[in-house]
Amino acid sequence: MKSPEIFDEALLYECYECARCTGSCPAAFAVEGFNPRNFLLTCLRLGLDAVVSDEKLWCCTTCHVCEDRCPQMLNVTDLLMALMNEAAKRGHIPDKVKAGTGMILHTGRVLLISKRVSEMREKFGLEPLPEIPVEEVEGILEKTGLAGLLG
Amino acid sequence: MRYALFLGCLIPVKYPGFESSTRAVAEALNIEFVDMQFSCCPAPTLVKLVHYPSWLALAARNLCLAEQAGLNILTLCNGCTNTLKEANLVLKKDPGLRKGVNEILKPWGKEFKGEIEVRHILDVLRDDVGLDAIRKQVKKRFSFRIACHYGCHFFRPPRIMYPDRLSPSKSLVPTQMEEILSAVGLTTIQYSRRLLCCGSALGTKVDLDAANEITREKLSHMTDKNAQVIAVGCPSCFEQFDRGQVLISRKHSRDHAMPVLFISQLLGLVLDVDRSKLGFDQHRIKVEPLLDG
Repeated sequence: MKSPEIFDEALLYECYECARCTGSCPAAFAVEGFNPRNFLLTCLRLGLDAVVSDEKLWCCTTCHVCEDRCPQMLNVTDLLMALMNEAAKRGHIPDKVKAGTGMILHTGRVLLISKRVSEMREKFGLEPLPEIPVEEVEGILEKTGLAGLLG
Repeated sequence: MRYALFLGCLIPVKYPGFESSTRAVAEALNIEFVDMQFSCCPAPTLVKLVHYPSWLALAARNLCLAEQAGLNILTLCNGCTNTLKEANLVLKKDPGLRKGVNEILKPWGKEFKGEIEVRHILDVLRDDVGLDAIRKQVKKRFSFRIACHYGCHFFRPPRIMYPDRLSPSKSLVPTQMEEILSAVGLTTIQYSRRLLCCGSALGTKVDLDAANEITREKLSHMTDKNAQVIAVGCPSCFEQFDRGQVLISRKHSRDHAMPVLFISQLLGLVLDVDRSKLGFDQHRIKVEPLLDG
C-alpha cells in the first residue's frame, strides 16, 4: 500500500511563529524542552533529521489543542505525528511505545488477558472475551510494514 | 437499538466494572450489544504515531467486522473513538487509501465499504436513546458536585470527530456529559480549563511524572470550584486521574482524593443498578465515602 502523504512540508511556510501552539500545549507546560513551534521551525530550517532523533518529540499527547488555537489553522499535531512516523522509520522509537506497539502486533491487544483477569471478569458475570484471530492481525501488519519496522 | 460493542483494550482487562455497568445500564435503556472479534482499535497514541498505514489498515479491519454485521459501533474509550471515527472518515473520503487498505484486507475476506457510523456512548445516550427516556428510568438521587472531564480524543480535532457540528470558527465545545448528568438529576459544575488534557498519553509513552503535573494542574481547577467527583468517558483518563492522584499525593505530601467515576457507573447509581456490578472496588480513590457519607 502506498504510504499516505501525511507530512506536507509546504504547510510549514504557513506558520507565522506566533507560538500559540506552544502556549496552549499541555506537554510544553509539563516537559522542559518540548516545544511544538521549535520542532516546526527546526524542521523548516534544518530539515527533518535535525528533529526526529529527539525523544522529546514523543511527549506530544496528540490532544490537538494546538490545531484548535492556531490562527493559520495548521494541523500541528498531524505534523508532529508525521515527524514521529519519520523518527520511527529511522529506528527512533521510545521503549514504552515500541513495547505497546509490539504487543498489538503479536496479540492484537495492548494488554494481556491473564488468568487473574479472566477470574475477575467471571466475578462480574462477564463472558470471556471473543478470541482475536492473531494470525490475521499479524498478517495485516506484516503486509503494511509494521512488523519489519519494529524488527 | 443494536450496536457492535467496542470494548477496547483497557476496559475489559483493567476495569471490567465499567463493562458490567455499561451492560446493565444498556439493558435498562433497551440498548442491545453484539460482541465481535475486534482487536485493539489501534491506539492513536501508539500505532498511529509509529506507522500511520498500519494504524489505518488495522482500524479498517475492525470497521469491516461491524460493517459485515450491518451494525454501527458503540465505543467506551476516547482513544478507540478517535481512531475508529478518523479511519472511517478518511477511508470514506479517500478512494485511493480505501483501495490500498482493501488490497491488504482482501486475503481475509474483508472490504471496507463505508456503510457504518462510530458513536461514543455519550452521543448514543444523548442522541439515540434520548434524555427523556433516560430520565424516566431514574430511581435514586445524589447531591455530589461533578466536574466533567471529556478528554481530548473524544472531540478533537473537531473537523474529524464532529464535522457536522462545527462552530463558525470550525471549533466545538462538547456538552453531552453535562446534559446527560443534569437530565438524571445530578449536579455538574463549571470550572476553568475544563477541556484541558488529563496527561495520560504523555505518561504512557514517555514521562509519567510530567504527565502527573498536567493532571495536578487540572485537579487544582476542579478543587477551586469544590468538585467532589470527576466524571469521565474514557478508561485512560480514568486511570490518569485515579492513579495520578495517589502518585501526586505521595510526591507533594498533600491529600488528593477526589473519586473518579465512569459515565456508566454514574448512570448505574441513579438507575439503581446492583452495586456489585459497578466495580468500585477497582478504584484507588475510594468511592464509598461519597455514597454512604
